Amino acid sequence: MTELGEYALWIALPITIWGGVLAFLGGRWQRGDLVLSAERSLYVVLALTVVASAGIIAAFLGNRYEYWYVYNYSSRDLPTYFKVTGLWAGQRGSLLFWALNLSFFSALAVWFNRKRNRELMPYVTGTLLSVIAFFLIITLFITPPFEQLAFTPADGRGLNPQLQNYWMTIHPPTLYLGFTAFTIPFAFAISALLTGRLDARWIQLTRRWILTSWFFLSLGIVFGMRWAYEELGWGGYWFWDPVENASVLPWLTATAFLHSIMIQESRGMLKVWNMVLVVVTFLMTIFATFLTRSGLIESVHSFAQDLTIAYTFLGFMGVVGIASMALIIKRLPLMRSDRAFESFLSRESAFLMNNLVLLGSAFAILWGTLFPLFTEGLTGSKVAVGPPFFNQVNIPIGLILLALMGIGPVIAWRRASARNLKKNFIGPVLLGLASGVVLWAVGTRHPYALLTFAIGIFVLSVIVVEFWKGTRARARIEGEGAFTAFAHLIRKNRRRWGGYVVHVGVVIIFMGFAGSAYDREVRQSIEPGESISIASPFGHEYELRYEGLSTAMDPGHSVQWIATLSVLQDGEFLGTLNTERRLYLVQSQPVTEVGIRSTLMEDLYVILATLDERVGTGTDPRFHRATFQVMVNPLVPWIWYGGLILALGTLIALWPGSAVPGARRPGAASAGTGGPGAPPASSPPPPAGGPRRDPPVPVGALS
Amino acid sequence: MRKDRRFYAGLVGVASVVTWLIWTGISETMVYYLTPTELMARVDGDAALQERGVRVSGSVVPGSHASSSDELLHTFEVFDPAAPDVILTVHFRHPIPDTFSDSGDVEVVMEGRYKGDGVFEATEVLTKCGSRYEAMPEEGDYAVDATGGVKPAVDEAYPGAYGGEGGT
Repeated sequence: MTELGEYALWIALPITIWGGVLAFLGGRWQRGDLVLSAERSLYVVLALTVVASAGIIAAFLGNRYEYWYVYNYSSRDLPTYFKVTGLWAGQRGSLLFWALNLSFFSALAVWFNRKRNRELMPYVTGTLLSVIAFFLIITLFITPPFEQLAFTPADGRGLNPQLQNYWMTIHPPTLYLGFTAFTIPFAFAISALLTGRLDARWIQLTRRWILTSWFFLSLGIVFGMRWAYEELGWGGYWFWDPVENASVLPWLTATAFLHSIMIQESRGMLKVWNMVLVVVTFLMTIFATFLTRSGLIESVHSFAQDLTIAYTFLGFMGVVGIASMALIIKRLPLMRSDRAFESFLSRESAFLMNNLVLLGSAFAILWGTLFPLFTEGLTGSKVAVGPPFFNQVNIPIGLILLALMGIGPVIAWRRASARNLKKNFIGPVLLGLASGVVLWAVGTRHPYALLTFAIGIFVLSVIVVEFWKGTRARARIEGEGAFTAFAHLIRKNRRRWGGYVVHVGVVIIFMGFAGSAYDREVRQSIEPGESISIASPFGHEYELRYEGLSTAMDPGHSVQWIATLSVLQDGEFLGTLNTERRLYLVQSQPVTEVGIRSTLMEDLYVILATLDERVGTGTDPRFHRATFQVMVNPLVPWIWYGGLILALGTLIALWPGSAVPGARRPGAASAGTGGPGAPPASSPPPPAGGPRRDPPVPVGALS
Repeated sequence: MRKDRRFYAGLVGVASVVTWLIWTGISETMVYYLTPTELMARVDGDAALQERGVRVSGSVVPGSHASSSDELLHTFEVFDPAAPDVILTVHFRHPIPDTFSDSGDVEVVMEGRYKGDGVFEATEVLTKCGSRYEAMPEEGDYAVDATGGVKPAVDEAYPGAYGGEGGT
């Protein structure tokens, strides 16, 4: 099976290149037969990358330690689950995994469009095959996953214990799904540029792909935070590490893109900007893959210093960037705006501000990540830019973004009148201010935290009012009950209401971030029977009584020291909490497994920091003395809940199906790549009785 | 088009705020990244190293790690393998990373302040081995068993197995 996988990989490359050439020639010569052949070769490439990936997994499951990759990322004792996920545990497998994901999405996109949008498909197919070819070349020639050692070692070196965590098995593939899904909109954009079909069509066709990509990127980032929080054991979830930054860069630019395409769809503006954004976001996904897997920048995550792969990636990004920009410049005359901006106080303007702020944040993060590299290259002196920089820059930017989330959805198009502003904003602004005052009165004095909560409540009330107005209007007009009206409201324009739900999720995540201003921490060394007290910022007090230390063993895998603590809140017994230190035998590496007791409002986070040197040598309780670091992390659970709400909102906006009762333009249904019944591309005006505003001008009927 | 002016003023405003944030952010938070030898050479002349802090990387002196179980205090020494005559004593009062060890060949990156009394008070310690995404140091660094002699038997048994694993 594994040998078969290697052959499949070798066969896949020429077919990919051949298919790519056919697709571009077929497009150029208007030869449908060549294009068809190219599309079929894409399906073949998918089958071959599946076989190659299966080959890697088979090598893991079969303990084939003659393979360099398996030897370095597995061992006999490794649980089967982690052997399967070994495909993306390291650089070599994960680049193949990238190619696999991309082939899958590409095949899907080509299949959806086998009967429509034929004029765009040749170059779409060609672009997709080219990107796949790049990853296959890297996989075959630079990071060969099937490379064999000169000998067959008896056992592997094992998987890094910190990667033996559930979140770590789903975090990289989720991110990769997000990265690869974004290649589809990029390919459609390139095709639009090459064919000169530069209306909003390519955007409408790829909206679902953009959302799909965004969905996976968001989830992937949240999963990564969750893993860092549970596994790294320092009480935080984000360190502004280069690899973390790399994953958030495409997310920021994709978020900007997601918003600015709405302006193009409804107002025919920002066409060039959208082209630039789709290219930049694609480059960011490549850059993120490159940064996580090349180790160009020193990071907690990666220390590989092989520059071949760095130059290959940079070369690819350079070629893509220059070619795309040249195409955009060539097509500038076809991308004139249908309208000009009329007022600073308008929805267009709010959306553009949102774009600038998101890109500003992305630029700041990129700059901070690369700054040490530049400085060392230019001046030779090594400097470091750490979390203080990223927080100092991104917290104010984040607050502006938060405020824009409340303004954007309800400010009028074109030019907001005083009446529009008064009607939509007075209530929420007053509510936000009032909550700020109340929070100040109860002791929330941290300025950024206070601002986050006040602005967050402003945004939430704007959204709630929108939902309420929509539901009320619908209930009145259609004579429906409140609940039915609410459900129908969302169904009727899932894109808009799903977007609001996403905003609710983001507000809750931001509030979760703000909670970190009130983290509490106590470190103490105690013997069994003794206690540690820690006050929660919410006023109550926890007491943790050290009940005792026990050991457990997972033969051949790990040995565990488990400290059991009773948790009392203001004297009332809540339950027990275990916190562990594990010794992984293959790597002889100790790993801290934190104990977390999570409630709606806060986490009690307990680290078993050190054990007495004499532990295990007798029953004397002094030998069981242990040092604990106890933390109360307020609102951290909100980040995870917010992530779920955000995912739910994205699914609402994304879900395929024809649940668009009374869609005004039935013809629009055929526009989506995601299957029949895509909702109309432009937002229908709000139901009567809703906030009054200028109706969005739909971009002309689909050509 | 007259109405545009306020709009473009807004754009320029946002762009300048972001630029200003980046500029002040870098100049206020940037720290030097030194080896122990460089730190000791510069520490007298540069007050910023004591006030704002500094990032230091070095190798852990084998056998130098001690921790007291009463208070959480880790003491260890680091040196620069390229200039091994300077040894820096480090105090660290947080749980030490799991991948930390003083069994040799462990490199650390630390953030903290030099206290003037020969002690570096670290607020952050990261180890360079057993990185978060990679199982083992790959490629060039590979011959160094950075996990501290994890499986020397295997490593020695297959010396050629990974030699010259650089840029295939």
